[in-house]
Amino acid sequence: MNVELKNRFKTKIDDYEPIVGRNVIDELKLLGNHLQGKKVQNINSTYSGGGVAEILTRMVPLVNQLGLDVSWDVVTGDDAFFDVTKKFHNALHGRQEHITESEFDIFLNTNENNIRGMKLDADIFFIHDPQPSALITQRSAVGGKWIWRCHIDVSHPDQRVWEFLNRFVAKYDAAVFSAPAFSPKLPIRQFLISPSIDPLSDKNKELSRGEIEAVLHKYGLDPGKPMVVQISRFDYLKDPIGVIEAFKMVRKGFNCQLILAGGTAKDDPESAEVLNDVRNHADGHRDIKVLLIPPGSDVEINALQRAATVVLQKSLKEGFGLTISEALWKSKPVVASAVGGIPLQIINKFTGLLCYSVDGAAYALKQLLGNPELASQLGKNGREHVKQNFLITRHLKEYLLLFIALNQESDIIYL
Amino acid sequence: MFEWIQENWVTLAVPAAVFLAFCIVGLWARRVLYKRLNKLLIKSGWGGREILVQTSRGPFFFWFMLLGASAAIKSSSLSDEAQALAGRIIGSIFIISIIWLLLILANRLLNIFLEEIKSPKPPGRFVTNGVRVTILMLGVLILADYWGWPLTPVILLLAAAILIAVVAARDIILNVFSGFEIAAARNIREGDFIKLSSGEEGYVTDMTWRTIRIKTPDQHTVIVPNSKLVRETVINYGHPLKKALKPFRFYTRLHLKELTGLKAGNLTELVNILKSAPDSVIYYHTHHFLEEHQFLTPEPSNDFALWVEDSLDDHVLSEKLANIDTFAYFSLADLKSTIVSVIEKYMAANPASKKAKAENAFHFIKSNSVVIPTPYFASDLREFVEVLRKITIDSLYYHIFESRLRLQKISNDFSVWIRDSFEENDLADKIDGLVPYTSTIETMRSFIIQNIEKRIK
Repeated sequence: MNVELKNRFKTKIDDYEPIVGRNVIDELKLLGNHLQGKKVQNINSTYSGGGVAEILTRMVPLVNQLGLDVSWDVVTGDDAFFDVTKKFHNALHGRQEHITESEFDIFLNTNENNIRGMKLDADIFFIHDPQPSALITQRSAVGGKWIWRCHIDVSHPDQRVWEFLNRFVAKYDAAVFSAPAFSPKLPIRQFLISPSIDPLSDKNKELSRGEIEAVLHKYGLDPGKPMVVQISRFDYLKDPIGVIEAFKMVRKGFNCQLILAGGTAKDDPESAEVLNDVRNHADGHRDIKVLLIPPGSDVEINALQRAATVVLQKSLKEGFGLTISEALWKSKPVVASAVGGIPLQIINKFTGLLCYSVDGAAYALKQLLGNPELASQLGKNGREHVKQNFLITRHLKEYLLLFIALNQESDIIYL
Repeated sequence: MFEWIQENWVTLAVPAAVFLAFCIVGLWARRVLYKRLNKLLIKSGWGGREILVQTSRGPFFFWFMLLGASAAIKSSSLSDEAQALAGRIIGSIFIISIIWLLLILANRLLNIFLEEIKSPKPPGRFVTNGVRVTILMLGVLILADYWGWPLTPVILLLAAAILIAVVAARDIILNVFSGFEIAAARNIREGDFIKLSSGEEGYVTDMTWRTIRIKTPDQHTVIVPNSKLVRETVINYGHPLKKALKPFRFYTRLHLKELTGLKAGNLTELVNILKSAPDSVIYYHTHHFLEEHQFLTPEPSNDFALWVEDSLDDHVLSEKLANIDTFAYFSLADLKSTIVSVIEKYMAANPASKKAKAENAFHFIKSNSVVIPTPYFASDLREFVEVLRKITIDSLYYHIFESRLRLQKISNDFSVWIRDSFEENDLADKIDGLVPYTSTIETMRSFIIQNIEKRIK
């Protein structure tokens, strides 16, 4: 299924100039000039919900503006397929999952069906995450360069699942990971490209005091009480139960409230179960608010992050954890687990505080709630860090460099 | 015939005498008046004196002749109708002569004025023709009024034509008048380096009646309408400075990180992998931090020192590694040998090596570099400093620090060019002295700009 973005995204590449400077935009155009007309086909498993869809929604039109011909397709599948891929996801993160042979077949058959229904036509095929990874079997038929973009941490995967997927991954020209620690041993070239946030998106743009208060009012939140906010989809790997436990420890000494807000993704059938569990754990505590935010409520998420006193991301496993960059961009002090790509964003005690346990999270929260000056300094540093390394313009630049590097083996390429 | 003259000589002689008398008075008045006028104008020092005097001398006498003719007709025995008709013809000739004089005067005086303000030719022609047309139109209107022709339709027609012309050519008119303002103010000349508040900058290569052409440092020609130029704040840096024989071409180097799949958990593994690591790996781990965290000051000097400190908790070795001055090395191979040697010496003295946790292993990354020429050139220090304001930190880094690896000496691309092209050794030495450990790249950019600005002021 082809995703049409023309009317959904109106931001122009030059709109980023006031944030990153003219020179950065000029550099992107310079790279774009060297790739004029190159056809790039992105394929993933969902067009909404989750970080990958969010990045593609904004990235695809921008790369097109730079002169490339970029398209975006989504693999289609039934609930059984997404149940299997969710199991794959958990297993690749190292969680024990029982996957039957018939489930592997569901995965292969769905990929086969998609091959038949999808037009593969590009110079570069950019395949995101495990769901569409078996499309590589068409490589000899359609040609082109193939990149597997892995957004998750596969450093300690369930070996059975990994061996199954590796049959396909090893056939790609290159793989891209978000953090050095995410990559397993592979016989192909591996690149390191961190994801990014878009400072002009609804989720990150500046909001007025009135807009923020309207959202707080809508969800019945007290604007006068300090807020600890975790934004993430309802997933055990984000440890929402651990967040509630840590908050209960903090609440004993600080009059504050916890907001656990997130949505569900089409490709994550487990999220409804997690949401129920979280609600059960939060039940009865008047300072814990569990908010199910529907897809597309980016302004509301933005408002909640901006209203936060401290932003928390206590994940047990994390792909990259872009909510960290979102919070840092808003100059918010952040407490986050040292997992996945989070340490790339949180330089401990400089751009935020890292934690390794529920106790660690509680202790760090107390430090920030009790020391607003430290909180403010961390937030300020964090914004600079994001500006330098985690904005969409940097991401765009690295994708363009990747397309150039695919055809060159040399360490230094002179254009 | 003779008889007729004898009978009517008085009728003829009186008008002739009157006409002659006016001619004589005219000649006398011209001599007296022009003498005084000439003196007065000489005193004023006005440049158009000669033109005014020479052009109007002939017509002045001619007007007395017309006056004489008019008086002669009045004193003649012609019928009233004939006198009225003759009077109108003489009046018309008078009006035409005035218009003719004004046309010539306006043309000659405008030429002097335009030359004086060094106006470009096209706007000069435009104004001269405009004045001519205006005078002619006025003349036609006065004549029509004089003869009693209906004026309203003519005026309406003219007004409509003028209105249409003004609306159609409003931008041109605006630009032309702005062109005059620019020319009269004499703040900008061809060859000046100017910078507009809207961002355009470069050397002025051509000034026309509607636009100014600027050659920008990225070798483009920007055409700025005069009306825009007068609205903007313009910094004029003046005439070109000494030109370099070879212009400086700005490059940028962009990096893509490639994972090697190699990782180390202790010093032995670290040093073994290091020994066989390619230059691009050494480059990445000794250079990337400065670019990615360029807002941090002071910064760690290399990833190895950072990892030994954070993951192996070995402060002494970390300090030894941090103390290696990356930028004192002209080759990455030499830098690698030093790092390996420091670690090996330390291991020999301290055999009990610690082990990092699995999640804190050192991941070897190599830098894939793409070197791209930017569109910017500088042929003098003014252009150079203006380009410096625009380029990215990647480009600055490439020319200031990476250049040492290319040049194989403690210098950089900027200093070499400044020294070779302009013999500005002090300036070049100052840039050579920049160190990345004590300031950010943005601070360095300001430092270089300030020093060049000081030099070229």
